[in-house]
Amino acid sequence: MAAPTTPPTAPSPGDANPRSLRQLVLGRKDVQDLSDAEQDLPPDLMTVNMGPSHPAMHGTVRIILTVDGERIVASDVQPGYLHRCFEKESEHATYTQVFPYTDRLNYVSPMINNCGWAMVAEKLLGLTGHLPKRAEYIRVIVSEISRITDHLTCVGASAMELGAFTAFLYFLKAREWLYELLEKVSGARLTHSYVRIGGVGKDLPDGFHDDLTLCLHQTEKIMVEVENMLNNNKIFRDRMAGIGAITKQAAIESGCVGPIARAAGVDYDVRKDYPYSIYPELEFDVPVGTTGDCYDRYLVRIEELKQSIRMLRQCLKQIPDGPVMIADPRVALPPKQDTYNTIESMIRHFKHIMDGVKVPAGEAYAFVEGGNGELGFYVVADGTGRPYKAYVRSPSFVHLSTASQLIHGHLIADVVPIFGMINMIGGECDK
Amino acid sequence: MTDAAKPAPVPSTPAPPPPAPADSVNLTIDGIAVIAKKGTNVLEAARTIGIDISAFCYHPGLPIVAQCRQCLVAIEKNPKLQPSCQQVVAEGMVVHTNDAQSSLARKQQLEFTLVNHPIDCPICDKAGECTLQRLYFDHDNANSRIDTPKVHKHKTVDLGPTIMLDQERCILCSRCIRTCDEVSGQHQLDFAHRGDHEVLTTAPGEQLDNPYSLNTVDVCPVGALTSKDFRFTMRAWELEATPSVCNGCATGCNIEIHHKQDRVWRLVPRHNPEVNKYWMCDEGRLTYHGLRDHRLAAALVDGLPAGWDRAIRAAAELLGPSLASAPRSIGVVLSAEHTNEDNFALAKLAKAWGVTNVYVAGKPEVPSRADGRLRVADVNANTAGVKLVAAALGLPATPIVELSADVRTLVVLGAELPGIDQAQLAELAIVAISAHERGPVAQAKVALPAAAWAEVAGTVTNAAGRVQRMHAAVTSPGQALPAWEAIVRLAQATGGKLSFAHTREVFHDMTQAVPAWKALSWTREARPLALRFAGSRG
Repeated sequence: MAAPTTPPTAPSPGDANPRSLRQLVLGRKDVQDLSDAEQDLPPDLMTVNMGPSHPAMHGTVRIILTVDGERIVASDVQPGYLHRCFEKESEHATYTQVFPYTDRLNYVSPMINNCGWAMVAEKLLGLTGHLPKRAEYIRVIVSEISRITDHLTCVGASAMELGAFTAFLYFLKAREWLYELLEKVSGARLTHSYVRIGGVGKDLPDGFHDDLTLCLHQTEKIMVEVENMLNNNKIFRDRMAGIGAITKQAAIESGCVGPIARAAGVDYDVRKDYPYSIYPELEFDVPVGTTGDCYDRYLVRIEELKQSIRMLRQCLKQIPDGPVMIADPRVALPPKQDTYNTIESMIRHFKHIMDGVKVPAGEAYAFVEGGNGELGFYVVADGTGRPYKAYVRSPSFVHLSTASQLIHGHLIADVVPIFGMINMIGGECDK
Repeated sequence: MTDAAKPAPVPSTPAPPPPAPADSVNLTIDGIAVIAKKGTNVLEAARTIGIDISAFCYHPGLPIVAQCRQCLVAIEKNPKLQPSCQQVVAEGMVVHTNDAQSSLARKQQLEFTLVNHPIDCPICDKAGECTLQRLYFDHDNANSRIDTPKVHKHKTVDLGPTIMLDQERCILCSRCIRTCDEVSGQHQLDFAHRGDHEVLTTAPGEQLDNPYSLNTVDVCPVGALTSKDFRFTMRAWELEATPSVCNGCATGCNIEIHHKQDRVWRLVPRHNPEVNKYWMCDEGRLTYHGLRDHRLAAALVDGLPAGWDRAIRAAAELLGPSLASAPRSIGVVLSAEHTNEDNFALAKLAKAWGVTNVYVAGKPEVPSRADGRLRVADVNANTAGVKLVAAALGLPATPIVELSADVRTLVVLGAELPGIDQAQLAELAIVAISAHERGPVAQAKVALPAAAWAEVAGTVTNAAGRVQRMHAAVTSPGQALPAWEAIVRLAQATGGKLSFAHTREVFHDMTQAVPAWKALSWTREARPLALRFAGSRG
């Protein structure tokens, strides 16, 4: 913290007690040496750093706060500490090689990012709507599991930052069950790279149906406990309600999407408004808030958790048997058995891996409902195996641009729940 | 392609005028109206509108044999499919390349070609730039239906000093046979046996050893013919290509430098109808080894490594007294191996110094090389350019053998002083600016390291007077700088009043000075092309 800028009072001529060593060396006085007036809070504005490495901040982001006492009067939010050139790197990788990069965008719900990237390539290839039904169901199942892990992390971490450690541990326990499930599906706990252009990498593992049913049941039980702990908790509500509110109009103007926009009353969900995959076949509701404050964002997320569980149950009932990858040889890798034993499959395998899936020239924007809202990929293709240009519309980045506006006028302590509920994910925001 | 520079002085044939109506025919390919020159084949006519009809045996630089049957197309009013490479365009012709009949023919032909093809892609040098891979993926992409064992042939046939043959991979397109016939004029390859036992081979006891043999590797649509120099060294798709010009002789064949990780891995010819068409000689192809052999990587003073500053100071101290009192005792040697820009900078410095003993040196001629095709006796890339540069500045370009006895100090560009014997060398104080540490450089008082041809942007002038642009593909080793930059440093240390900041500036100054090059303009640096994403050029 910077020192108060009040000029030190010159010692009076007759002062027998000269300035202490501390004052001489460090240029400041001990509090007990200050006059009564000086011991009050300094009247000047003060500039302090929050982040980039701050235990209560999600991701690495630096905020330069100008505070009047404890109240924030101006702030400068500086993202970019996790910039890994996602868009530029994509220009030097084949479409398939970009999947691992997308894992590292919103790393709390990588499956959804995978799906979005696959969809943009499929759009250019003209495959949208032609994928095998089972592949579409699997994509929705893993996406909704990812949405649950995303919201569990967001809510759990925010509660912890407000002192409710139990809720955090409970939710992370549930998240771990789901991560383990996704690990069984994809082979990786966090960075799945599971989706492929034209389908998914492999079929669901044996016993997945039962595992997921059990997981959902246990997660629901935990949610009841956590809701009982938080919903009417005096501390939690005091810290959340009325904090960081945004109006419906302002939310629309600043491009907010997802739980933040919905908490403010914007009834927009990509799954409903621009339905993709098999979402039209599922029954679910889109929760919409009224006040647009942190507490509404919390409630919207909790309700979305329940809706995701509802969707997953429907998926488990409806999922058909069949292939999980489209049969189109332009995008489907041949089976390993054939690759090693026939020249035809060997060549196709080689072309897929070395040259990449050849996406016809053109441009396309495909978007999905990510954990934080509309996650879009825009690609300009030049007919080769790699994107000519790639762009990601990352909701975190848009939401972070409202952060300065949201924390304005609040106390320093309120930055924590506001940031928690913006759910800025460094990987996604900084790209 | 990236020819810098249109060669003003060349009495080249003027660009052909747009085909006059009498000279052209109208036809329709896949519903698109095409105007083609009379005598063009359908395959070439289709390429002009961006329809790439699949083909193995057709090569624009070779005679047409219509042997692979891969380019069959349907022509209306013609009961049978026709090979589009051999079918000459005719007025009113209606061609279909994408109808069911010709698509099926293409697919079947590819399936047939792959029946006995070995599963070699992971170990094949052609993988990634293989025509067979490209055509299969684009036109067939169907699964194998074969359940019989493949016919096996010899996998390592030593055809000669430069080439290995894998007979299994060969798809019998005969491109290599025709390449030998056309480019070198020697019929060294042919087919033997019949059916699925047919193989490519030389006559018994004979070798494939003509000086253009490696062109067969370029034209081979599969990995049957591999260059002994390149095989198993680098995966083709990982390379990057930078356009340049071969510095092996005065022909100036247009080439692509294929490089990766700052190292050149091979040179391949680049099409230029005016110079080398699709070809280049084997000797030229291997010149890239010189980029790593005996390089001078640090400045030397009296044979010991020194920094640039110390070396330039030493050179200035060596030259200073003579420059002030007796410029006649100083000789300047231009190099037929270096670019126009390097030579122009040095010639300009000689002029500023008032030195009149200006010589030209280069590798001695090799008369046995000249064959009336691409290879010529002059093995220097820029003999013609040096002469023009010197003449433009009013300097003599005396052959170095006529070295004046007055000369005590010699400023040498390049590493060649042919005709100067050891005794003469011992009496001279030499300041050498050279890419290689050999010849006079070993005995130089001061040696300044220069970048070699693949490391600089610049132009060279071939025997026909064509000024051609080179692009830098790799960085130079150690402290080496482009020679013109070393010359500028030397000039500034000796009051030579020479100031250039970029090759482009030297080039501009030069084109103003040389009347024949007035119209030339500098082109942007070429970005290396990643072969992996170049659409598998095959």
